[in-house]
Amino acid sequence: MEDLDSSPELALEKDPFQLTVEDVYDISYVIGKDLLKIGGEPKGQSGRISDLQFKIVRVLELLEALVSQCNLNMEELKLERDNLKKEFERVLNEGARGDADQVNLGPDKQVIDLTDPDRPRFTLQELREVLQERNQLKAQLLVAQEELQCYKSGIIHPTEEQFVTIENDATASSTKRTAGNNEDYTVIKRLFSFRQGKHIGYCGF
Amino acid sequence: MAKKTYDLLFKLLLIGDSGVGKTCVLFRFSDDAFNTTFISTIGIDFKIKTVELQGKKIKLQIWDTAGQERFHTITTSYYRGAMGIMLVYDITNAKSFENISKWLRNIDEHANEDVERMLLGNKCDMEDKRVVLKAKGEQIAREHGIRFFETSAKANVNIEKAFLTLAEDILRKTPVKEPNSENVDISSGGGVTGWKSKCC
Repeated sequence: MEDLDSSPELALEKDPFQLTVEDVYDISYVIGKDLLKIGGEPKGQSGRISDLQFKIVRVLELLEALVSQCNLNMEELKLERDNLKKEFERVLNEGARGDADQVNLGPDKQVIDLTDPDRPRFTLQELREVLQERNQLKAQLLVAQEELQCYKSGIIHPTEEQFVTIENDATASSTKRTAGNNEDYTVIKRLFSFRQGKHIGYCGF
Repeated sequence: MAKKTYDLLFKLLLIGDSGVGKTCVLFRFSDDAFNTTFISTIGIDFKIKTVELQGKKIKLQIWDTAGQERFHTITTSYYRGAMGIMLVYDITNAKSFENISKWLRNIDEHANEDVERMLLGNKCDMEDKRVVLKAKGEQIAREHGIRFFETSAKANVNIEKAFLTLAEDILRKTPVKEPNSENVDISSGGGVTGWKSKCC
C-alpha cells in the first residue's frame, strides 16, 4: 500500500473513519521521529520523554487495534450488503416471473392460456351430450338407410300396411324426442299415402 | 305384423389402452378395410353389423371406446348395456398388456355380472416388434376364464372369428323366449328382453 508520493504526515489529516492500519503506522512513524528529535535536546528531560514515549506507543497500539477491527467490520458489512442486494434482486425477479403461476397453483391444478385458440373450453358433460346426440343421429341414419334398402330390395311392398315404431337402441336419453319424431313421421306418411291412395308402411328395427 | 331385419340384437363393447387398434379391429369387421392413420377415438362411437348364426340374424351393435384416460368417465357409462366385451391389447406394447388387469377391474366395476368377456392380442402381423408372447396372453386369459385370440386388423387375422365366437357365446346364454316351442327355429320376434321394447 505504498502510495506514490504520499508522505506519512498525510495520514494525520485523514478522516478518522477512513483511517487504515497503514495510516496508523505512518502516524506512529511521524510521532516516533518527533520524539527522537526531542530526545536529542536538553538533558534531564529524557526520562519523562521516554515515559511519554511508552504512553504514546500504547495509544497508537490501541488505535491500531481499533482501526483494524473497524476495517474488518466494514469489510464484513460490505460483503453482507452485496449478498443481500443480490438476494433481493433474485427474489424480485422470481416474483415478477412467477406471479401468474403462483396465483392458484396447487396439486392437480392447471393454468389455461385464455389467448390460446385451442384451449379447452367444454365440460365433460357437454362432450357426453354431443357424443350422445351424434350417436343417436347416426343410429337414425342407419335405420333410415336400412329402411330405404327394404324398399329398394322389395322386402316391403308399399301396399302392405306395416306400422312399426322405429326403435332407437343406440341411445337411451332421447325417448321423448324420438317418439315425437316417429309420430310426425307417421302422420306425414299417412297423409302421403292418403294422397296416393295407398297405404305405406315402414319397417322397424 | 312387424317386419324385422334381424332376430336378435347383441350389444358389444371394445375396450383397451389407447392405440392398441380397437377402432381398426372394428373397422376391419364392419367394413373389411384397414387404415394406417391413427385417429384417436373421441369418447365413444359405434358400428352396426348383422351376422347370421344358427339360422338367426343377429344384429351386432358394437361400441368403440376411447382408450385415453381423459374419456374414462364417459366410456365406463357404456359398460352397463354391453352383453359382450372385447378387451384389446397390443402385442408390441408391453404396457397395454400390463394394463389388462386394470381393464378387467373396470369390467367388474361397471359391467353386468354375466357379461361375456374376450381377450384380443392385436397387431400379430408385427412379429418383429412383438414383446408379449402369445403364451402370456393365453395364460392370463386362462386365469380369468375367458377366450383369447391373437388378431391383426391389418392382415385380417382372426377378426371375424373373434366377433362371431363372442356372438355365439352370447347366443348360447340367450334364453329362448318362445312359448311352447323349444328348439324350434324362431323366424322373427323373440330376441333379448328389453332391447326391442318400445320404451326406448
